[in-house]
Amino acid sequence: MRDIMAESVIIEFPSDYKYLNMIDMVCGEFINDMDFDHEAANEVSISIIEACTNALEHGNKCCPEESVRVCLTKHPDRLVIEVFDHGEGFDFKYYLKHIPDPSDIHKLRGRGIFIMKHMMDSLYFDMVPERGIKVTLEKMIRKQSGEVA
Amino acid sequence: MRIQTKERNGVIVLVFQGKLMGGPDADYFRDVVHKLIEQGKRRVVADLSGVNWINSTGVGILITGYTTLRKNGGDLKLLRVSTKIRSILYVTKLNLIFECFENEDEAVASFEGD
Repeated sequence: MRDIMAESVIIEFPSDYKYLNMIDMVCGEFINDMDFDHEAANEVSISIIEACTNALEHGNKCCPEESVRVCLTKHPDRLVIEVFDHGEGFDFKYYLKHIPDPSDIHKLRGRGIFIMKHMMDSLYFDMVPERGIKVTLEKMIRKQSGEVA
Repeated sequence: MRIQTKERNGVIVLVFQGKLMGGPDADYFRDVVHKLIEQGKRRVVADLSGVNWINSTGVGILITGYTTLRKNGGDLKLLRVSTKIRSILYVTKLNLIFECFENEDEAVASFEGD
C-alpha cells in the first residue's frame, strides 16, 4: 500500500556516466529538507552514484539506448531509492553472500555493492519481468540520539 | 576528467579536475601513469581537490595507479581528499593503503629519503 505521506520523483537517463552528477544533484536537492545529517547525506550521495553506476555499466552495458530509471521516495522516517536497469540480471543472492574483499588492491571494480550495503540501512535486489534488475536502497532518518525517527 | 601535471623536487603532482567515475577515465589515468614510468618518474602525488564526483570505480582507478607505481619502485600518495572520497576509502579499508595529505609541501616532502 502506498504511503499517503510519501513524495516521489522519477528520473530516467541514458546509460552514460555524464548523467551521474545530475542524479546526485537531484537527489541532494530532494533530500535537502529531510533530517539527514551531513554524514548520512554523503552516504546517500555515494550510494545512489554506486547504484546508478552498476545499472549503466553492468545492467545496460553502457548502451546509451538503454535507460536507467531512478525513483526517489521520501517517507516521514526514511528515504527509498529504487534503480532499474535493462540488464539480464545476475545471481544477486549468491553475490550478497560472497561480496569480494573491498580492500583487495588488485581489483579495479567490485566495491560498489559492499559500499552501498555499509552506507545504507537496507539493500535488496529484485528481478523485474521484461525490465531487468531493480535495486532498492533505504536510509532511515535518525534523531540525534541515534534512534530512528 | 582532466589531469594537469607539475613537478616539484622530483615528485610529480597530478592535479585532477572533474569527475572520476570509470569509463574512459580508467584508460586515461593508466596512460598518464605509464608515460610517467617510461620517463623514470615514479614518485607521484594525486591532488584530488578538484574532483567533485567520484565512485568506487574511480577509487579503483587510483588503486590501479598505486599498484602500478609500487611494482615499479614508486608510490602514489593522495592530496586534499574530500569527505566523500575519505568515506569511500574508510568503508573499503583502502585508507590503510593510501597515505593522505592536506598540504602539498608535506606530500612532496614525504618522498624525501625514498
